[in-house]
Amino acid sequence: MTPLEILVAALTGQAAPRIPVFCNFLDYGPGELNMTPKEYFSRGEYMAEGQLKLLKRYGHDNAWCMSYVGIEAEILGCQEILFPKKGAPNVKDFVIKSWDDIEKLTIPEDISQHPHWQTTADCLSILSQEIGTTNPICAYASSSNTLPILLMGMEKWMELVLMGPKDLREELMRKCSDFCQQQVKAFRKAGAHIILYATSFGTPYFISKKMIAEWAVPWMKNDLQGDAGGIVYYCGGAPMNEVVDTVMKEVGIGAYYISPLDDLAEAKKIINSNGLTCAAIDDIKMVHWTVEQTRAEVKRLIEIGKPGGHFLFGSSLMPLELPEENIVAMIEAAFKYGRQ
Amino acid sequence: MFEQYVKDYNEAIIETDKEAAIAVVEEAISNGVTPEEVVFKIVMPAVEDMMQLVIDNLDTNLAQHFMTAQIAAEITEKMLAQFSAPPEIIGKAVIGSSFGDLHSLGKRIVMGCLKSMMVDVIDLGVNITAVDFVDAAVEHDAQVIAVSSMMMHTATGEEGSLQIRELLHERGLEKKIKLIVGGSPFRYDKELYTSVGADNWAPDGISAAKIICQLIHEVKAS
Repeated sequence: MTPLEILVAALTGQAAPRIPVFCNFLDYGPGELNMTPKEYFSRGEYMAEGQLKLLKRYGHDNAWCMSYVGIEAEILGCQEILFPKKGAPNVKDFVIKSWDDIEKLTIPEDISQHPHWQTTADCLSILSQEIGTTNPICAYASSSNTLPILLMGMEKWMELVLMGPKDLREELMRKCSDFCQQQVKAFRKAGAHIILYATSFGTPYFISKKMIAEWAVPWMKNDLQGDAGGIVYYCGGAPMNEVVDTVMKEVGIGAYYISPLDDLAEAKKIINSNGLTCAAIDDIKMVHWTVEQTRAEVKRLIEIGKPGGHFLFGSSLMPLELPEENIVAMIEAAFKYGRQ
Repeated sequence: MFEQYVKDYNEAIIETDKEAAIAVVEEAISNGVTPEEVVFKIVMPAVEDMMQLVIDNLDTNLAQHFMTAQIAAEITEKMLAQFSAPPEIIGKAVIGSSFGDLHSLGKRIVMGCLKSMMVDVIDLGVNITAVDFVDAAVEHDAQVIAVSSMMMHTATGEEGSLQIRELLHERGLEKKIKLIVGGSPFRYDKELYTSVGADNWAPDGISAAKIICQLIHEVKAS
């Protein structure tokens, strides 16, 4: 079976020779091509080449057609991104500097025609041609509750959510939800198999479960317009177990990228065979682990998640500080212990 | 009656209801409660209660931390102007986001709590170099440098806390100034702070304020 077929088998509960093994090599592409992040993310061809080289080098299952999260803000008018020498770029210029700017914010009629979308589109097009029938291609989309963080900063967004005028907050959510709908549609049309749906306010670590149910969830439904195919629920690494049941019932999302801070056994029990449990290893701790510790943790996670199927093993955000031998050990162990 | 104010204020904090919290304080003041009592017997204990909830790992969230700090800072600032005598400041801290890091929410929570705990806190902003952290701490005679980092490369990068430690060492300041770090990467690896040369760390803004106070006391006692 191809990695893509193995993923489909995990999603549908069919028999497969092993579990899917995902690695999120988001920051590793520039190094692979001896480029700075700024140079690397300037062209979709570079991003695709980086992902394909990483796929060849490590043999995991998936590739990413993602540049950096700030690209969403750039499509909406952000003028400056802070590119570090190494690591993830940051939004430096906030599009919404005052609440008055919310009214002025306009969502392009077709984001797939926007110049800033082009690098992602080019990358996705190359990956689709090269590996689209064999390997899962992943894309990233901010939910309506997360995009405002890129547009105004977490501090100001939190202020608006908790203390600001509700009509203004909802106006921004509506615009961001429009953007999210367009982005999800564009990714699907261009051949992405998986869309990591980032929902920072979809975790009880951020807001109360009541607020998630009454405010965030209805907007998630609007974001996805009744089609959760290929969507993976992701809270930026924050815990989500307490809301999985609600999201599954209300929004219909079938795959959950469980936080290393969550209890995986509990997550598996909640999701059961109704969806895909994706276990994320704590790859920040892995920076200082030995090879043996890395293997042992992979084994532990897979032993919890594999029984009953509907399970995927994956990395978290894979910091550049990870020792090469630990990356190799993690993937080897995932293949070894993930055999059915 | 006073106990009722405390109870109502705490409820407003838990519900993240700023208007209700301010209304409780206004009513208390209009009924003869002094500004000093508002700060030391209502606001500060509410911050400490939230700290205890966090320490006990009970069900609190970032929104509650943010609102606790925000409301505490606002009310404290208002009340301080009405104090009969200037309050005793327990110490000073400089705070900022590490070099290359533009995230600011965490430090705002820390600052709000520190203000209500009578710590003079100087906000250096975001994307702060190691030299600027140390220079500011010396200039303001601060006992603590607090560094917030939300990304792994800014938490562990050579131009962040590691360089602050080097500078403190080179300038012979390690006994006079303590270094605390916080932010997302440290929540995943509880030992990470040691590898970036920090004296301590905190998993959230509320706990950070408590640990900063402890560090201030340590420096002053030495």
